[in-house]
Amino acid sequence: MIQRVPINVNDIIPASRDVLNHQGISENSVIPDHIISLFEDAVVVFKLKAKPIAIIKKVTVKEFDIIFRGEGKNADEAPLENIYPHSGNLALFALTLGNEIVEIINDLFNKNDFAPGAMLDSVASMAADKSVEILENYIFNNLSERNLTKNDSIVLGYSPGYCGWDLSGQKKLFQHLNPGKIGITINESFLMTPLKSVSGVLVHSDKEIHIFESSFTFCRYCKNKTCYERMEKILEH
Amino acid sequence: MEILNEISQQLQNGNDEKVFELTESAIEKNIKPKLILYEGLISGMNVVGGQFRKHEIFLPDVLLAAKAMYAGMELLKPHFIKEKMPTLGKIVIGTVQGDLHDLGKNLVGIMLKGTGFEVIDLGKDVPPEKFIETAIDEGAKLIGMSALLTTTLPVMKEVIHLLKEKNLLGEIKTIIGGAPVSKEFAEEIGANAFAFDASNSVIVAKELIEEK
Repeated sequence: MIQRVPINVNDIIPASRDVLNHQGISENSVIPDHIISLFEDAVVVFKLKAKPIAIIKKVTVKEFDIIFRGEGKNADEAPLENIYPHSGNLALFALTLGNEIVEIINDLFNKNDFAPGAMLDSVASMAADKSVEILENYIFNNLSERNLTKNDSIVLGYSPGYCGWDLSGQKKLFQHLNPGKIGITINESFLMTPLKSVSGVLVHSDKEIHIFESSFTFCRYCKNKTCYERMEKILEH
Repeated sequence: MEILNEISQQLQNGNDEKVFELTESAIEKNIKPKLILYEGLISGMNVVGGQFRKHEIFLPDVLLAAKAMYAGMELLKPHFIKEKMPTLGKIVIGTVQGDLHDLGKNLVGIMLKGTGFEVIDLGKDVPPEKFIETAIDEGAKLIGMSALLTTTLPVMKEVIHLLKEKNLLGEIKTIIGGAPVSKEFAEEIGANAFAFDASNSVIVAKELIEEK
């Protein structure tokens, strides 16, 4: 069953330090007032114009196996294929912040208002990430109410396009979940519209399952290593 | 000339309205557009780029200066109809096929334009052939590719492979960048350069254009 999950825009407003960090401004910097104002203005616009909404659908490991294999374009070995078979609960998800916020960002850039445009873009990107956290918590709390969680279990989201799960995985994911219902579509390159949308799978399992060595073939080329940050978070949890 | 210094200074302050007024005034005073461009606008933008590289100012400051730069350039454009707007060179940029993340690429475009490059922005989800066709058609000597999704990195390799197939390696040079992209990856796929951020892309593009 596909379930709509409402997301309150106030719950996904990112912290100023995260947004400024996204703009390359380190935590230790003294931030001038005009940059703080740019951030605050972006948050005001975001609160007014972002329309976050998400859907989730429970799937079995067997069903997800087909979705994950997708069009057969995944890396030879990907961390997720060692994770999801150990999960008792898997759910597909798709979420969007709506098209209006994307149009406003584009308008700002088109009018050469680059600084407010880039700031709003950063706020929206961080908010999309926070929306995934909301879904992770939603699933966890749901399972917890039914006594299906353990002290060392966690729900974590994975998306096509990262860590060896090829973006073409979106095709089967979309066939299964039908996010068109909340206005998300994919093009022939499997990319989503509206731009500020995220899709993937939420995996509930023991924490340790999500910890892996970044020694896959594709890790060699990857500089940002966001997997480390995710794993650090798990360990802190 | 005092007014050119003022243009440069106001651009550094990110004051687009003032830059517009001063550029208008400089044109009325019959100051050569090329002089206004280089000694006013680009000179100011170069200071801003330098301050940014030294971490004296932040990205939003650079973007405010870029808006001021564009305000002045819009006024100058009509004066360069006979003799084309002078540029440092032409560069084709885009986010590679399979990727819609274009903030970084947009910033690169803004900064390159701000320092005097002619930028042909193909947008996002750009197929490998499109980069090359456009570079050939436009006579561009540089291609800049950006990606955020790790699974789209092979598209960059494909562009370089196609350039090789068409015997265009060296004639058309490539710069790659984006959050997951590394110098090692650039070397491995045979890209001419790796830019670690938008500001660095300007330096790298200048170096590649000046290379014989």
